[in-house]
Amino acid sequence: MSCVGVEILLIDSLLCYPIKVVIMQEEQTVLSKLGEAVKSFDEEAAVEAAKEALKIEMDPLEAIEKGLTKGMREVGDLYERGEVFIPHLVAAAEAMSSAIEVFEPEILARKAKRKVLGKVVIGTVAGDIHDIGKNLVSCLLTAAGFEVHDVGKDVSTEKFIEKAKEVEADVIGASTLMTVTAPEQKELADAIAKSGLKAKLVYIVGGAAVTPQWAEEIKAVYAPDANSAVKAIKGLLETRK
Amino acid sequence: MMVGVRKLKPMEVLDKDALTNIHLNSLELLEKMGVKVFSKEALTILDESGAKVDHKKQMAWIPPHLVEEALKKAPKTFKLCARNPKNDVELDGNHISCSTDGTGLTTIDLETGERRPSTKDDVAKSALIVDALKLADLYYPTVTPLDYPKHAHVLHEYDAALDNTQKHFVSGATYLPEEAVYLIKMAAAVAGGLKKLRERPIISAVACMMAPLILPLGETDAALEFSKQGIPVVAMTMPLTGATGPITPAGSVLIGNAQILGINTVIQMKYPGAPVIYSSYPMSMEVRTGAFAVSFPEATMVITGHIQMARHYGLPNYGGGTIGSAKIPDEQAAYEKALCGLMSMLAGGDVCGTIGLLENYTVLSYEQLLIDYEMYDMMLRLAQGIDVSEEALALDTIYKVGPEGHFLAEKHTLKHTKDVWMPMLTDPAPYGTWKDKGAKSVVDVAKEKAKEILATHKPTPLDRDVKKRLAEIIKEGEKGIPH
Ligand code: B1M
Repeated sequence: MSCVGVEILLIDSLLCYPIKVVIMQEEQTVLSKLGEAVKSFDEEAAVEAAKEALKIEMDPLEAIEKGLTKGMREVGDLYERGEVFIPHLVAAAEAMSSAIEVFEPEILARKAKRKVLGKVVIGTVAGDIHDIGKNLVSCLLTAAGFEVHDVGKDVSTEKFIEKAKEVEADVIGASTLMTVTAPEQKELADAIAKSGLKAKLVYIVGGAAVTPQWAEEIKAVYAPDANSAVKAIKGLLETRK
Repeated sequence: MMVGVRKLKPMEVLDKDALTNIHLNSLELLEKMGVKVFSKEALTILDESGAKVDHKKQMAWIPPHLVEEALKKAPKTFKLCARNPKNDVELDGNHISCSTDGTGLTTIDLETGERRPSTKDDVAKSALIVDALKLADLYYPTVTPLDYPKHAHVLHEYDAALDNTQKHFVSGATYLPEEAVYLIKMAAAVAGGLKKLRERPIISAVACMMAPLILPLGETDAALEFSKQGIPVVAMTMPLTGATGPITPAGSVLIGNAQILGINTVIQMKYPGAPVIYSSYPMSMEVRTGAFAVSFPEATMVITGHIQMARHYGLPNYGGGTIGSAKIPDEQAAYEKALCGLMSMLAGGDVCGTIGLLENYTVLSYEQLLIDYEMYDMMLRLAQGIDVSEEALALDTIYKVGPEGHFLAEKHTLKHTKDVWMPMLTDPAPYGTWKDKGAKSVVDVAKEKAKEILATHKPTPLDRDVKKRLAEIIKEGEKGIPH
C-alpha cells in the first residue's frame, strides 16, 4: 500500500465521518422508533417509522431485524416475565406486521429475502367461521418470527393450496372447531399430498374438533393450543431442514 | 308443584339506569354502526321493513322503532312442549328449568374412564338418563354422534333422543337451513303433522349470532326456517371477552344484546309473534395464555347481565347454568359449575341447569351429568327462598315444644319432611359410616347411579310407523343436506 493511498483513505474517511455519523444517528433514531412502536403496541407509529426508514433509504431487512424484531423480542421477554399479556403480544405482532407490509415492495425491489423462521399459510377450513383460535396461533407465529399468510375463515382447500404455492409455504395450518367441518382437514391433507408443494412441508391442525388420533389419521401434526403450535412448528422445521 | 317455581326475587346485577343505557346503546349501534348481514333473506326482510340496507356491502342499519316494534311482537311467555305434555316447560319468568349441555365431541367412557370420540349411543344414553331424572326438563344433544355421517349429525341426534326420552328437544348445532328442513320433517312426523307441531312445538333450535355485529348466513337462514313453522329459536350470543367482544363485561353485554335485538328484529318482521329465546354463552380470556373459559367471573358477569336484559324485555332467557372448563369431574368442575349455576339462578335465569359437559361444552361425562343435576336440584330448593308464612314460622309448634323439648317427632316436622331437600348423590354421613360404605367419592357414587339408571330405566318407545317414517327422513336428509 502506497503512502498516497493511505493519505487518500485518511482524507476520505475524515471527510465522510460527519456525514456517516449523521446517517448512522438518523438510522439509529428510526430503528429505535420502530422498536418503540412495537413495544408500545402502536400500529400507526410503526407504519410511520417504517415510512421514515424508507425515506432515508435504510436497508429494509436491517430495519426489520434491528428495529421491529428487536422490539418484538423485548415484548416477548416481558410476556415471559408476566408483565404483559396475550392481547399485548397480539397488538405488538399486528404493529410489526403492518410495518413489514410497508417494507415489502422495497424488499422485492432489492430482490432481497427476509430472514424468517419459515413461511406459514394458515386459515379456518371451509364451512367453519370459528376464527379466534386460529387468529391467536397466527399472531403468536408472527411474534415468533414466522412470515404468516392468514387466509381467514371458511377457506376452501383450493385457496389454501393456491396461497401455499404462491408464497412457497413451509407450513400449512388448518383450524376447525366443528365435527361437520373436520373432514375438510382430510381433504386438505390429500390435496397437499397431490399438490407438488415442498416435500418437507409441515401440515399442522388444531381446534376443538381435532384430536391427536384424527391428526395422525390424516397425517398431520397436532397442537392443542397456540403456544404448542409455535413450538411444534419450530421444532419440525428445525429437524426437517 | 312447588319445585321449579322461583320465589326468590332476582338479584340486581344491572340497575335501572344500566338497563336503559345498554338498551339505548344497542339501538344506536344497530342504527349507526349497522349490522353485517350475510343472509340474503334477512337483508331483504330488513329492507322491506324500512331499514337502510346496502345489499352489496351486506350491511343493514336498523332504525330504533323497528327494533322496539319487534320486541313488542316477540311473545313474552310460551311453552317448550314435550312429546308427553306432562314434561312441558313453562317459560314465563317464574319457572326454572334444567337442560343438558351440548353439543360436545368427546365422551369420557363410563366403563373405562378414558376419553373417546362421542357416538350415537352416547346421545341415546344421556337422553335416557335425562328421561329418568324427574327435574331434567330439556334434552339438548350432549354430544355429536361421530359414528354417523357427519353432515347429518343433527338428524341422528334427534333420532337417538326420540328413542330414549319424551322430553323437549333443543337442537344445538343446526347451522344450515337444509338441516332445519329435515329436522322439522322429523318433528312433524312425531307430532302428527306440521299443524300439530306448530301448536305444540316439541323441538326448538339454537342459532348463534356472531360478534361483534354479524348475522351469519346459515344460522340466520336456519332460524328463519324454524320460525316459519313456529318453532322457538334460541337466539344465542357468544362474545369472547377481549376477542370477539370488548374485554369489559359491560361492553360484551352490550354487543351481545345488540346481536340478539338484531336477529329478533329480522324474525319478528317476517314472522310476527314467533317465539324467540334470549340466550347467552360468552367466554372470558385467561390473559396470560389466551385460553378461554365459559366459567371465569367475567363470562359469568356477562351471562347475568344478559339474563337481566332479557328479563327487562320480558323475553324468556337461556344462559349460563352449570357450565365449566374443567377437564375431569373434579373440584374445579364443582366450584365453576356451582358458582355459575347459582349466579344464573340468582340473576333470574329461566334455564339454570345445563348439565353433563366439561371443558367448555365439549366433553361428556356421565358422572358429571348426575353431579350437575344434583347441583341444579339444590339450586331449585334455594330458588324457593324462605317461606315466612305462619305455617312456616311454626310459632305454635315452638310454643308446644317449649324451651327444653325437641322437634323430631312433632306433627309440624312430619308434615314438612316432604319439603326438605333430599340428595341423590351427596353424602352427609360421618366419616366412619362413609368409610364402611367403601369411602366413595361423589364421582364414584355418580358412576354407580348412572349405571343403575341405564340398566333399569325404560323409556316410552315411539310408534312403529313413526319410527319407519323417521328412518326414511333421515335417509333423505343424508342425501339432501349439502356435504
Ligand atoms: C393450524 O394449527 C392450529 C393449531 C392449534 C389451534 C388451531 C390451529 N386452531 C385452534 N388451535 C388451538 O389453539 C387455540 C388457542 O390456544 C385454541 O383455539 P380454540 O378455537 O379452541 O379456542 C379459542 C381461543 C376460544 N374458543 C373459541 O373461540 C370457540 C368457543 C366456542 C364456545 C364457540 C364460539 C365462540 C362460537 N361459535 Co361455535 N363455538 C364452539 C366453541 C366451544 C369450544 N369450547 O371450543 C363450538 C365449536 N361451536 C359449535 C357450534 C355447534 C356452532 N358454533 C357456531 C357459532 C359460533 C360463534 C360465531 C357464536 C362463535 C365463534 C366466533 C368466532 N369469531 O370465532 C355455529 C356455527 C358457525 C359456523 N358456521 O362455523 C354453531 C353451529 C351454533 C349454531 N347452532 O349456530 C359447537 C360444535 C359442536 C360440534 N359437535 O361440532 C361447539 C363445540 C360448541 C358446542 N358445544 O355446541 C386451540 O384449539
